[in-house]
Amino acid sequence: MLKYLKEEGLMGPRLPLLLCPGCGHGQVLNYTLHAVDRIIKEDKMAKEKLLFISGVGCSSRLTSHYLNFDSGWTIHGRALAVATGALLANPEFRVVVFSGDGDMASIGGNHFIHACRRNMDLTIVCMNNGLYGMTGGQQAPTSPRDMITTTTPYGNPEEAFDLCKMAEVAGANFVARWTTAHPHQVVKTIVKGIRKKGTAFIEILSQCPVHRKANPADMLETFKKMTVPWAKAKEEDKDKIPIGEFCDHDKPDWNASYEKILDQYKS
Amino acid sequence: MSKGPQERHLLKPGRYYLQGSEACVEGALMAGCRVFAGYPITPASEAMEHAARRFPQVGGRFIQMEDEIGSASVLIGASWGGAKAMTATSSPGFSLMQEAISIGIISETPMVIVDIQRPGPGQGYITASQEDVMQARWGHHGEGSIIALAPASVQEMFDLTIQAFNLSEKWRTPVLVMAEEPVAHLRELLRVGARADIGIINRSKPQDLGIQPDDYLPWGHDVVAPMANWGEGYSVNFVGLVHKEDGNVTDWSSEVNCNCTKRLLSKIEGNAREIAQIETRFVEGSRNFVISYGSVSRTAIEAVMEAREQNGIDLGYVRLKTLWPFPEENLRAAITSADTIFIPEMNFGMMRHPIVEALGDRCRNFVSIPSLGILHSPELILSKIVEVT
Amino acid sequence: MLEKEDISKVSRSKRFEIRIAGFGGQGVVTIGRILGEAFAIYEGKNSTNSQSYGPESRGGACKSEVVVSDGEIYYPNVRRPDVLIALSQKALDTYLPDLKEGGLLLIDPTSVKDIPFPDKYRIHKIAAMEIAHRMGSVKYQNSVALGALHPLIGDILEESSLRKAIADSVPVETVAVNMQAFDKGLDSAQRKSG
Repeated sequence: MLKYLKEEGLMGPRLPLLLCPGCGHGQVLNYTLHAVDRIIKEDKMAKEKLLFISGVGCSSRLTSHYLNFDSGWTIHGRALAVATGALLANPEFRVVVFSGDGDMASIGGNHFIHACRRNMDLTIVCMNNGLYGMTGGQQAPTSPRDMITTTTPYGNPEEAFDLCKMAEVAGANFVARWTTAHPHQVVKTIVKGIRKKGTAFIEILSQCPVHRKANPADMLETFKKMTVPWAKAKEEDKDKIPIGEFCDHDKPDWNASYEKILDQYKS
Repeated sequence: MSKGPQERHLLKPGRYYLQGSEACVEGALMAGCRVFAGYPITPASEAMEHAARRFPQVGGRFIQMEDEIGSASVLIGASWGGAKAMTATSSPGFSLMQEAISIGIISETPMVIVDIQRPGPGQGYITASQEDVMQARWGHHGEGSIIALAPASVQEMFDLTIQAFNLSEKWRTPVLVMAEEPVAHLRELLRVGARADIGIINRSKPQDLGIQPDDYLPWGHDVVAPMANWGEGYSVNFVGLVHKEDGNVTDWSSEVNCNCTKRLLSKIEGNAREIAQIETRFVEGSRNFVISYGSVSRTAIEAVMEAREQNGIDLGYVRLKTLWPFPEENLRAAITSADTIFIPEMNFGMMRHPIVEALGDRCRNFVSIPSLGILHSPELILSKIVEVT
Repeated sequence: MLEKEDISKVSRSKRFEIRIAGFGGQGVVTIGRILGEAFAIYEGKNSTNSQSYGPESRGGACKSEVVVSDGEIYYPNVRRPDVLIALSQKALDTYLPDLKEGGLLLIDPTSVKDIPFPDKYRIHKIAAMEIAHRMGSVKYQNSVALGALHPLIGDILEESSLRKAIADSVPVETVAVNMQAFDKGLDSAQRKSG
C-alpha cells in the first residue's frame, strides 16, 4: 500500500506517520488503501478519478499529507460541502471523505445531515474516537454520558449521538458501523461503499490511547467486547454497540436526479 | 464539464431589459461559470432564483445549500474540481462566508462572491447599503488581500461580473462583487455583444506550460501559480495552512510563514495599478471633487452635473470601479490638488479612510455625505456641496 | 493629460418620469416593469425601473418608478414625476405634492376619492379593478390601467410597444384576454376625452 503514499508529502516523509503511536486512524488509513487498491484493480478504475477530502482534526490528517491521490484538507466541518462542490464540478469523481466525529457531528453536523439527505455520491469514512483529539481531548457530541474529558471534568452531562441512525434517517443509501478491531469487515465495507452510488456512511470506532490514557491493544479488545453484530444481538447484548451494515438502498444520488433536469436542455 | 449544445442558451447579442441581479447571473454564465451554490437571503434571492433557472439550461449545476457557510465551501470544492463557481448573498451571509474566503485566499482559489449589501449591523434591514465595503477587504481573518468590484448599473452587473471571473482566474484569487439593493433590483437596458468579442480568461494550467506532475509546484513557478485541478493526474493536495511552494506545511519557520502570506499580499496589492480601475469626469481644472462608488455614483454624477450647470461650481467626478485593491495610484493621477473632496456613501464613512490616506497630502477638507438605508437623492448631495463650497 | 470636459457639450438629456403607487397586490410593480420594458426594448429609448415596498407583501404601501430618456439616465429614480398613477388614497396623499404642476394624474376612482387642488393637474380616471373584476379576474387590472394610460403618453410611446411589453409579462394563454383588458382601458379613456 506504500505506493499510494507519496514518499515526500506535505508533512515531510511518509514514515513514520504523524499519528500518535497506537492511534486507530493509522489502521483506518491502511484499511482504506486496501479497499482502494481492490477498486483500482478489480474495477479498473483510473487513479485520477479518486478524490479524498477531509476537514480538520486527527482523522482529517489522512488526506493531503501522504496520499498519492488528489486530495483536499479543507475547512473544519465543511468537508462534505467542499465534496459537494467537487461533485457539482465533475460528477465523475469517486469521493472519499475522511472525517472525525467532532468535525462531522459537531461543527459539520448540518452538512452531514444534508449530504445524507441529498444522497451525494460519496463515501464517508468517519473515525469515531468519542472526543476531540487534535486539540487536546475535549468532549465531542459522541462522548458517552459521564465520560471525563478536559471540558467535562465532572463527567459528561450529555447524551451521545448515534451517527449511523442519523445518517440512515437523513437518507443515506448505505450505512454501516465497524471498529478498528474488525479489519476484514472494514475493508469489505469500504469497497462496497465506494462502489455504491449515493451516500455511503461508514462509522469506524477508532481508539485514541493518548486521551483515553489506555493501552491500544486493550482498547481493541474492548471494541470487540462492547460491540455485537446487530443481526445476532440477543437480550443480554442490549448495552452493547450494534455493528454491521444497517441499510443498503439504491435511491438515486443527487447528480442522477439533477441529470433529469439537465437532460431537458441537452439536445 | 460539457461544452455542448447547451451553450446556445447563453444570451444572444441584443438588448435586454433585466434586473441587476439577473444581469449578474447572465454575466457569470457568459464568463463560463457553471456552478452556483447559494442560500436564500433578501435582497439576493432573485439572483439565486434566476441562477436556479438558468444554470441547467447552459449545462451548469445549481444547488441550494443548507447555509451560507456550505455555499461558500462548495465554491472551494467546485473550483478545485475544475469549474468556475459563484454564490450571491447579502451582508449577514457574507459574514458567514469569511472563513471560506480566507481559505480561498491562502489556497489561491478562483471563486466569485456577490454581496448585495443591506444595512446592518445584525439583521439590520433589507434596503440599500454600502456597509460591507471594509469587511470586503478586512473581513477574512489573516493577512493576504482580495479584489472587490463595485458595479453602478445593470450593464456593469453584467460586465463587471465577467471581469470578476476573469480577474479571479488570472490572479487565482477570490473576487467580490460588492453590489447594493438599488443596482440589484433596478431594471434597465443591458446590451450584450457578440460572444467572440467578450474576452474570457481561464486559469493557467501546468499541462499547457509543459510542467509534468513530478515537477509541479502547486504554489510556485510564477507570481500566479499555474493551477492543476483534481482529476487531471497531478495528485494535487489542497491545503489551508501556510505552506511552501511545493505545498509542504511541516517545515514551518517565520520566514516560510512570511513568504507565504507576503506572496498573497503582493500578488494583489503589488499589481493594483493593473487591477484597479476608476472612472473620471470633469476632473481637469476642478478644485473640488466628488468621489463615489456603486449605486451612489448614479446620484453623484447627477448632482455634479447640476452643480456645474446651475450653480457654477467647479466640481470633478471620480468613481471607484474597484474598491480593492484600492486604486491609490489612479486617484493620485486624477487629483493633484483639491480644496474639498466630498465622499457620499451609504455608511458613515468607510472608503473615506483609504481616500484620505491616498490624498491627505493634496487636500485638507474631506466631507462625508452619509445616507443610511436609502440611495442618496441628488438634493442631499447637492445641498452639502452648496453649503461647503 | 485629461482634457477639460466642456459641460455645455455634455447636456443632460431630458427625462420623463412616471411614478406608480398603491398597495401591494395592485400590480404597482408590474405596471412599472411593463412600462420600463416597453420604452427600452420596443420604443428604443433608455429607461430605468425601480420599486420600493412597505414591510408587508400584501396590503402594504408599494411604489414603482420609471424614468425615460433618449440619452443616458444617471440618477435612476424619480425626482419630480411627470405622471403619477395612484391606485389608493394613501398613495395619492403621499405622492401628489411631488407631481409637477400640470402633470398627469391617473387614478382609480373606486379607491381614490379625495384630490386636493385638482385644478393644478390633468386628471384622468380609470376604474381598473372594477373593469378587471367584471372581466373575470382582478389580475387584468394592470392591462386596463395601461390601456387608459396610453393615450396620455402616446406621443412618446407607441401602442404596439406597450401591447408587446404586456404580452411579454403575462402567461402566454392569457395574452388575448389581457389585450382585451387593454382595449377596455383604452376605450374608457377615449370615451371620457372624446
